[in-house]
Amino acid sequence: MTRLSRFRILLALPAVGLIFVFMILPITNMVDMSFRTTGTTGPFGDAYTLGHYNRILGDGYYWGVLLRSLVTAAMVTLLCLIVSYPIAWHLSKARGTKAVVLYACIASPLMTGVLVRNFGWMIIVALNGPLNEVLLAFGIIERPLRLLFTQGLVILALVHVFIPFMVLPINNALRNISPTLTEAAASMGATRLDILRDVILPLSFPGIYPGVILVYVLAVAAYVTPALLGGQMVSYMPTLIISELTGTFQWPLGSAMAIVLSLSSLGVVILFTAMTWKMMERSRA
Amino acid sequence: MATVEVTGLQKRYQDFLALDGVSLKAKTGQLISLLGPSGCGKSTTLRCLAGFLEPNGGDILVDGESIVSTPANRRGFGVVFQDYALFPHMTVAENVGYGLRLKRLPKGEIATRVYDVMKLVRLDGLDRRLPKEISGGQQQRVALARALVLQPRLLLLDEPLANLDARLRDEVRWLIRDVQQQSGITAFYVTHDQSEAMAMSDMVAVMKAGRVAQFATPREIYQKPTERYVADFTGEANFLPVSQVTGTGEGSYRIVVAGTDLEVTGVPDIPIGWDAELLLRPESLSLVAPDAGTFRGRVTKSAFLGAALHCEITLDDGDVLRLAADPNEQVSAEGKVGVAIDRSHAWLMPKVAP
Repeated sequence: MTRLSRFRILLALPAVGLIFVFMILPITNMVDMSFRTTGTTGPFGDAYTLGHYNRILGDGYYWGVLLRSLVTAAMVTLLCLIVSYPIAWHLSKARGTKAVVLYACIASPLMTGVLVRNFGWMIIVALNGPLNEVLLAFGIIERPLRLLFTQGLVILALVHVFIPFMVLPINNALRNISPTLTEAAASMGATRLDILRDVILPLSFPGIYPGVILVYVLAVAAYVTPALLGGQMVSYMPTLIISELTGTFQWPLGSAMAIVLSLSSLGVVILFTAMTWKMMERSRA
Repeated sequence: MATVEVTGLQKRYQDFLALDGVSLKAKTGQLISLLGPSGCGKSTTLRCLAGFLEPNGGDILVDGESIVSTPANRRGFGVVFQDYALFPHMTVAENVGYGLRLKRLPKGEIATRVYDVMKLVRLDGLDRRLPKEISGGQQQRVALARALVLQPRLLLLDEPLANLDARLRDEVRWLIRDVQQQSGITAFYVTHDQSEAMAMSDMVAVMKAGRVAQFATPREIYQKPTERYVADFTGEANFLPVSQVTGTGEGSYRIVVAGTDLEVTGVPDIPIGWDAELLLRPESLSLVAPDAGTFRGRVTKSAFLGAALHCEITLDDGDVLRLAADPNEQVSAEGKVGVAIDRSHAWLMPKVAP
């Protein structure tokens, strides 16, 4: 081994060390735990079992919660994409001071702590909160809307906070599209809609892809927002897992659920990648 | 297959006037070059024609009808860009057929027309490649094919050869001219290369700071420029200061230049007292015996270039002439020579157009 390559390995060491200690080890630990019997004296017993997986996969209740988690995350991702694309478009056209101000506005949801942000939502949508008061005052509704502890509110709040993760990569991709392509398409008779469909959208796909993946995995794993804004009536995988871990101390079952969730969302990511592979290949100019 | 008339075209960016009253006329099937240095407004003019820019004043008539309020996608003009602007995610055939697909033509007809035009520009066999998989010259021809396949009324080319190397440039240049002439499409061609403009065009518009300095045939632009700027931009040129200009008829003058009385032709109606110069192209000058010819001077520089011998002659009154002499001519540095001029190619013109 040359001195240079040894030096390179040395440079990678801190990152590899961090990932090993804080990711590989815990995940290994968790996988191991998910196959253990429920413990009576410690977090888990000594014997191995497939029981937890059998229980999860054999019980319609868990399937329901898992499906709700995956579908909700998909809806969050889709809505986030729809909301973010025009913002990214606008941002990609901005230059100088205007661009800086826009970047700051777009990053603003991330500048508040997760608890503050969610309590903010709770206050805004409360039965006697400002939103209902405004709607009542204008006579748009007759009785206050019950928005808190609904799936809709969870989706809305998640879309709001994930917008930056969608906007920034799409903005990047849009900035890389040469403006003469738009003009060329127009000269061939393309309307604005044709240009969006045939040129801009496919060529911005290298930005849409990472945005979708980021938002999807973040939404699947979101805990605080569903827990605070979703209430006790609707369960999502992360809230259920936490209640297994901290409520009933069923660590092996909780681990198994976490692994099922991770593998499911990985499966969705792989499916999405496979479905869009051709498009990605072509748009990587 | 269209006549084009541009009148008084203006384009303003904040306080910068990019186009300051551009007027041009193209007959059906002509190729018009817009020639000038960067920033002269040639691309801006083309972009106004294409509909990518909205002029602030003036009008553009195509076949007698104003098109300034028609959006780019309804003008039906073919545009070839300097960077080709090929869609990187579409194959060559998809790029060429895109405009036809937008017209919702049947698939079979699209395929035939794409095939025909690709054969015309010698791209056959490349239809399934992506733009990044073909060479620059091929990309250029895809861009041309893509514009031609729609049988446009007008073909607009924005420095289409600028990104090609010299050999390819020559080849594609003739291809463009051939195809344009065969199909009889009226074309506008933006370039900063005077030899390109001269070789290809029916008419050349030399542009200067947002205006057309001269709009004429390549021959006229070269031999009878309206001012020094045009002469300078269209090739090698000698300018001699003149004095005692007297008009002797429409476009003919008697002048004194380098101590010699001469009768020459020139730009008509140069105002009396206006700063004027005599244009002498290097090829209208020849070396003769020291006591013959119109001017007398010394050879101060010479360079043998194979096909010609480039000489710099300093005249007795200090003016300098550059000329291309017969390569077999024997010149000695500091040797006395005479310079004969071909009077029909001497041209009197104002330093700056009045």
